[in-house]
Amino acid sequence: MSLIDEDEALIAAAVKGSAYAWEKLVKRYEPRIYNHGLRLTGNPTDAMDLMQEVFLGVYRNLHRFRGDAKFSSWIFRIAHNKAVDMNRRKKLMTVQSKADDDFDILDSLPGEVKTEPEHRLNEQQLNSQVLRMLAQLPMEQRLIVECKIFQSLTFEEIAELQDMSVNTAKTRFYTALKKLKVVSEEANVLSQD
Amino acid sequence: MSCPKTEHLTKEYFSSGLSEVSKQEMESHLRSCERCNQELESLLLVQSKLESWQDQRVPHWNRGMELYRREHGQNESQGRIFDLWRWLPTATSFAMLLLVVLNTSLVIGDQGVSLSFGDSSASSGLESRLDAFQNNQQAKLAEFVARIENRQDSNNMQLMQVVFDQTQQTTAENLERIYTFFEEQRLQDLEDMRVGYQELANNDYETIRSLEQLAQYVSFSGEVR
Ligand SMILES: [Zn+2]
Repeated sequence: MSLIDEDEALIAAAVKGSAYAWEKLVKRYEPRIYNHGLRLTGNPTDAMDLMQEVFLGVYRNLHRFRGDAKFSSWIFRIAHNKAVDMNRRKKLMTVQSKADDDFDILDSLPGEVKTEPEHRLNEQQLNSQVLRMLAQLPMEQRLIVECKIFQSLTFEEIAELQDMSVNTAKTRFYTALKKLKVVSEEANVLSQD
Repeated sequence: MSCPKTEHLTKEYFSSGLSEVSKQEMESHLRSCERCNQELESLLLVQSKLESWQDQRVPHWNRGMELYRREHGQNESQGRIFDLWRWLPTATSFAMLLLVVLNTSLVIGDQGVSLSFGDSSASSGLESRLDAFQNNQQAKLAEFVARIENRQDSNNMQLMQVVFDQTQQTTAENLERIYTFFEEQRLQDLEDMRVGYQELANNDYETIRSLEQLAQYVSFSGEVR
């Protein structure tokens, strides 16, 4: 029995009203959705908000899930769209300067690393580095990096998801990588001082 | 040092749908072109830095269970009763506290009455009256504690102890009121518990049924494979 079949079994049971199945389904996907939100928003609070919105969306539409697509793709599509919505709302709400935004994200990176065991510390540091890098990208580029690198989607899938041409997707990803290259080179120079 | 192919090559490098021919062309160009090679390497380094991401643990949350149960008409009242169970000791304490405060004021009133008594009688008479009153109260309280001992609610027992310690001058009438209150609460508890168990049983039955369905489904699709 593959993971996909298990998904279908859980969905079927959840739609029929099994709270147990619903919880199992959520547990199975929450790490992916939460970390997706963390990388896109840069802070745990927004990531939690996003995750809750995603599962609310999943919950509301679960009966419509037909199994012609993989559930993992389906839920990621919801997560992706919610992230775009959230970003749009935030932009409308905040009149902050971009510098302030960046500062916020860096501020909210995990700070209490001292109490963590050794391997956790490195993990936290690596994640912080990733978040710092991603924070330098505008949302549209961050999204494409998320899809390509963290979700391993093809450019064709990304183009379909983000409603753009395959070539635009490729160009945008390339632009993002080049920007990150510059950013991380600058960071390296800084850390050598 | 620049190469006109760099952008196209690095862009295409990350797409999955490359034909064998394009792959070979790309590789042979990379072998001969330092510029493209460097550029690609630095982009791959960026990619590997990003890929060092380790999934972080999800903070605790309710997994939408409340919503799920509410919308499936499950456990709503059960949840309410569980909440009530949690809340009840607090409510009881609060009610007791109110009673204690009320008692105190009532006792003050009683003392006023007995003081006016004391004015007209000998002070030893007053002493013995107060002693008798006190003894009477102790007996009443002991009896009262014995009556509620059957309740396995240790919180309430402790509370009673506090009431006992704090209000030495509690009148029998007030004790009766406290007892009535406790008795009412106990009956209410029992009723809530009965309803709660019933709903719990019903709900568990539903859960077991859906688990069975799940198990059937799972073993069914397992056989197909
Ligand atoms: Zn070249």
